[in-house]
Amino acid sequence: MDKTKILIVDDELIMRESLSGWLKRDGHVVVSAASGEDAMRMLKNSRFDILLVDIKMEGMSGLDVLRLVKESDPDVAVVMITAYGSISTAVEAMKKGAYDYLLKPFDPDALGVLIDKITEHQAQARENIFLREQYQERTRFESMIGQSIAMQKIFDMIEDVGPMESTVLISGETGTGKGLAAKAIHTKSSRSGGPFVAVNCGAIPGHIMESELFGHQKGAFTDAKETKKGRLEMAHGGTLFLDEIGEISMRMQIDLLHVLEDRVFYRVGGTQPHEAYFRVIAATNRNVEDAVKQGVLREDLYYRLNVVSFRMPALRERKEDIPLLAEHFLHRFSQETNKPVKMITREAIDDMMLYEWPGNVRELENAVERAVVVGKGPSIMPQDLPIFCHENVQHSRHRSLSEVEKAHIFDILRECGWNISKSAQILSIDRSTLYSKIKRYNLEKPT
Amino acid sequence: MPGNRNVKNVQEHIIISPIGHLDPHLIRQVVQEVHRITGYDALAASVLQDVDFAFEPSRDQHCSTPILEKLADAAPPGAVKILAICSVDLFIPILTFVYGEAQLGGKACIISTHRLSEGLGTARSDIFIRRVVKEAIHELGHTFNLRHCKDHNCCMHYCRTIKDVDRKTHHLCRYCKVLLEDEMKSMSKI
Repeated sequence: MDKTKILIVDDELIMRESLSGWLKRDGHVVVSAASGEDAMRMLKNSRFDILLVDIKMEGMSGLDVLRLVKESDPDVAVVMITAYGSISTAVEAMKKGAYDYLLKPFDPDALGVLIDKITEHQAQARENIFLREQYQERTRFESMIGQSIAMQKIFDMIEDVGPMESTVLISGETGTGKGLAAKAIHTKSSRSGGPFVAVNCGAIPGHIMESELFGHQKGAFTDAKETKKGRLEMAHGGTLFLDEIGEISMRMQIDLLHVLEDRVFYRVGGTQPHEAYFRVIAATNRNVEDAVKQGVLREDLYYRLNVVSFRMPALRERKEDIPLLAEHFLHRFSQETNKPVKMITREAIDDMMLYEWPGNVRELENAVERAVVVGKGPSIMPQDLPIFCHENVQHSRHRSLSEVEKAHIFDILRECGWNISKSAQILSIDRSTLYSKIKRYNLEKPT
Repeated sequence: MPGNRNVKNVQEHIIISPIGHLDPHLIRQVVQEVHRITGYDALAASVLQDVDFAFEPSRDQHCSTPILEKLADAAPPGAVKILAICSVDLFIPILTFVYGEAQLGGKACIISTHRLSEGLGTARSDIFIRRVVKEAIHELGHTFNLRHCKDHNCCMHYCRTIKDVDRKTHHLCRYCKVLLEDEMKSMSKI
């Protein structure tokens, strides 16, 4: 678990020492300031999660510290420490944004519970910001699905890699489920209680990327009306997933490398260094070695990211998973659209098996969704899948002769309304040969 | 395993220092457990006669911080750590009370039995002895630079209530054991 950084602001040495000692034994990183002025100087150079501030101090008061801190970083939790006589001031501080107050001397139980509560709230807040933003994007996959050997190897890899802290680089074509694999690694890791923050580097315009990743201070640029946290800060304590890493600019690659090495960054327009501890999982649909050779991806960043790497197989490399995936999507979309579509016909599945799926699982998902929406009956028929009309079915050189033959016989049979004589005539084979091929390829007339 | 540690320098030991009258059986139990956990020889010896100097009349309690300073100063040669056990109620200025206090990564620590008999009456009991042993190991762990542990069963778990003390064991979890070994290795290099 990452340590909470706490700043104690109290002008009494004995109070600072006893509180600091207790909090350090509790495993926190603790720094003390003897005055409000000292605290503000420290806050310019470092960020803290929690401030414990004595209300009555010589010079700058605790309320002054509270006001200035809340102006510059509203997410810092400020707890006021007060003597019995000044509870009314503590209540006033609560109205001005203090998280809570503690009455000196306080019960060790009260302090421990309060620190735990703040830490949990801050972790939740980071996760919530991310979830709110993610809510608008449609979830493409609910979980990874696959019984093929290729996918079993991926599952084994995720089991092994998950608990490690290493950076992971996932390659694979668009739509193969790199994001799902990243999420699965996060779930298997010790950081699973923390946030999983995804950044699609290819979808965010270059000029916005810096602010998206690092956040910005209010007034940093014309549209910066409020101070905003970047994805790096949101990922603190969890996992940062950098999708399509090959698409970011060289300048951003340098900044990113710096963060990965030092864990320190600055918000756009800010001078205060921020620290964030997260695991990085990166993904790309490019051939990464080629990208490095071509100078598109920095070599040092590549080596920093490529501690553990694996490739997600294309759907055409694991066609045996197609029926399972199609059933999964059918179930999901029939529920979502409230349409009683119960099954996919054998013919439709056969067509799916013959198709090359250049858009991979995402394309299959879209095809099933469309079929559920436009289909009229209780089953998905080949005609509900317009991508399988002749011009769209790819006669790729990757397909075997038997696959091409099966598809061709099926198409002719369908065109001839399963008239065997007519089909055999078009195919220039005799009827008995056609019957044997229908049997060998398990072709069935749609019901 | 720390418990199997072969202490090369026979002069190195941990002192268990009772302050005031405390049950000798209780002290023997603490001595045994300290040796088991750390591998160091543990010796019972009175280092401080009383802690009157730390009494705070306004709170009717004793402040543990100056006691630790005195203990560290009074530690005889060869004493790598010193654990005091007293029966008076302890506090640190910011808190209402503490079960004990330790110098993190330092030499001295202290525990009080004052609040450890809660709910047990006056008779000596095994539960009371177990509580004292757990708090003794806990504070001594801090002197070996161990922090509070999230594992509810680990002796380094921070206990908010006496029920928490009863629930945790007098053992260290595997992580704290490793950290203790690391600390002892680094001490032997100095």
